[in-house]
Amino acid sequence: MPDAATHSQLDQLLQHPALWRGRSAAVQETWATGFAALDQALPGGGWPRTGLIELLIPCHGLGELRLWMPLLARLTQSATARWCAFVAPPFELFAPAYAAFGLRLDKLLIVRAPQPLWALEQTLVSGACDLSFCWMTHAQPRDLRRLGLATEQGRTPAVIFRPLGAEREASPAALRIAIEADPQATGLRLRFIKSRGGKRGVVDLTLDR
Amino acid sequence: MKHRQQTGFLFDAPVHGAGEPQLVEVAPAAAPAPRAVPPLLQTTAVVATAAPTVVVPTRELWAAVQLPREAALPALQTLALRALLFTPRVSLEPPDALLLELRGSLGLFGGLKSLLGDLQAQFVMAQSIALAPTPLAALALARSGKSCCIVDATQLGSRLAALPLQSLRWPDDAIARLSSMGVRTIGAALRLPRAGFARRFGPALLDSLDRLVARRSDPRLAFRAPERFRMHCEPDFELTGQAGVMRSIAPLLATLADFLRERQCGISVLLLRLVHRDHAATRCLLRLAHPESAAQQFALLLEAQLQHLVLPAPVRRCELRSGPLLADAQLSAALWKPGEHGGGATAQMPAFLDRLRARLGSQAVHGICVKPAHRPEASSLPSEPATTHSVRHLPQCPPWAAARRPLWLLPEPQQLALLHDNRSARAYPSHQGERLTLQSGPERLETGWWDEAGIERDYYIARDAGGARLWIFRQIEPPRHWFLHGIFC
Repeated sequence: MPDAATHSQLDQLLQHPALWRGRSAAVQETWATGFAALDQALPGGGWPRTGLIELLIPCHGLGELRLWMPLLARLTQSATARWCAFVAPPFELFAPAYAAFGLRLDKLLIVRAPQPLWALEQTLVSGACDLSFCWMTHAQPRDLRRLGLATEQGRTPAVIFRPLGAEREASPAALRIAIEADPQATGLRLRFIKSRGGKRGVVDLTLDR
Repeated sequence: MKHRQQTGFLFDAPVHGAGEPQLVEVAPAAAPAPRAVPPLLQTTAVVATAAPTVVVPTRELWAAVQLPREAALPALQTLALRALLFTPRVSLEPPDALLLELRGSLGLFGGLKSLLGDLQAQFVMAQSIALAPTPLAALALARSGKSCCIVDATQLGSRLAALPLQSLRWPDDAIARLSSMGVRTIGAALRLPRAGFARRFGPALLDSLDRLVARRSDPRLAFRAPERFRMHCEPDFELTGQAGVMRSIAPLLATLADFLRERQCGISVLLLRLVHRDHAATRCLLRLAHPESAAQQFALLLEAQLQHLVLPAPVRRCELRSGPLLADAQLSAALWKPGEHGGGATAQMPAFLDRLRARLGSQAVHGICVKPAHRPEASSLPSEPATTHSVRHLPQCPPWAAARRPLWLLPEPQQLALLHDNRSARAYPSHQGERLTLQSGPERLETGWWDEAGIERDYYIARDAGGARLWIFRQIEPPRHWFLHGIFC
């Protein structure tokens, strides 16, 4: 039965800066998502501030971008805001809707590129962007690994939208979420395929519509 | 009288040709000026004050161009560019006058008379143009509205004597005090004792009097026309590939970087022109978001652009031209890396934008902005991305709730097929073969009678079988087709 003195000694030892503990590596900086249920499900309590986030969607229009609006509004309105890049978006961005969500439109950067990989990597390594969205249909694991390294360099997380068919492909992304339509048609369902340091499972979100 | 003629000859340099023998003879006497006073000058000195000064031998002829009203400095600089047609020595006299030194141009323009004619033709808007051997005298003449010409410096005192003191633009209180003393003309001021004048009105005004009548030299700051960089190279052999072109323009870029560094300037436009033997020259135009001055950055961007160019023939000559030089405002570097502890990225943004645009084209990278318009197509427009953080662009929230407008808009409305329901004998819009269910609507958006692009539509929010929410509309007018216009994403 260890007494109080042993405990305090152990705590002292654990405080030592040279000591590295396995669990502390999993603690990472995050941004609150703006949805309480999602914050609870994500490791660290929010979207990670670095690394690849892969969202797999069966089709456009389920609310996969709506998910990011609270965070985008907060990021673009901060005093040291960088750009939020949309690389190779599938359609036109309808500016009034983004303004209605409270985004500062001058902080949105749209990059149209037939080959999004290079442009996405540039947005990540340059350090000029807070967050980078990219839509791509095909991606090799090798390319994704390279993008993962690029996110570390510029401290910019990348959100990649891929078709649901890519679920079975290997991916170095720290977070992989499949987005599905909510059966009640009030929101959307997030199915965690991979969540480093977190749990797998299903989260149902209600969006105000 | 004899003296007068000699001095007249001395200063009145023959109007044509600086190379005439008399001038060359006279020049040594004129050049080592002030202390050794040629006796002939003392006799003709106009000023009666006990002057330790002499008339500085001047071989200049200044023209003052007086403009009708005060001009802004840029406008004056534009006029100065015009003045550079006549002489390289142009000086600005803000806010409303220009000075041109014309002695060296007399020969080229065929004498004083024809030069004056050309000047008047060039400066039609000028109130008066006066010529005199000193800049201040020319200005005083022009400002008192006298379009005359004094060529002989020794006559300055007598010719200027009648002009009012106001033409000198001295401070108002000095002019008021002088006029209360009964001194109202330049001649009267010149007759005042020097020591007393300096004590009462300060040495600056005495100095300006001295410069007026050429008792003291009056160097002027020359106007310099805005510079641009222009250089070319002709390689020994014809270049066929992009790599060769980049190698041969590398020294040009290094020179350009030196040129810019010496002037502490940057450029935001750079043109590379590649000349071929039989084809029209290939142009490669670089537009940057921010003034840039580093050779490495230019090379990087030009290389990215050259990769997209197809050279129709081998390159014989490379020309590099810069746009206007801009002050290169060095942005302060951040203590933190971008994104670290909330660090901004103002320094990284312009270079990043340039890099993207050099490779993808300037149209491919843009921002968006809202335009107040009721037609969806017209209310969202591409804009130039902002590289600086401004406080003015606060989000302006439209009057309707966020959930009623889609985040995606289709570039063109896409017509939806109809599905016929046999039981109810009605037709429903469908998307990808599945029937759409309408969730809300209709919301009518119409008219535009003032231009050709009028619309008449009933908008609905619909849900397809996969759960996607779509923004669709039905034309009000027959044939009442259904269209998909946006996606709630």
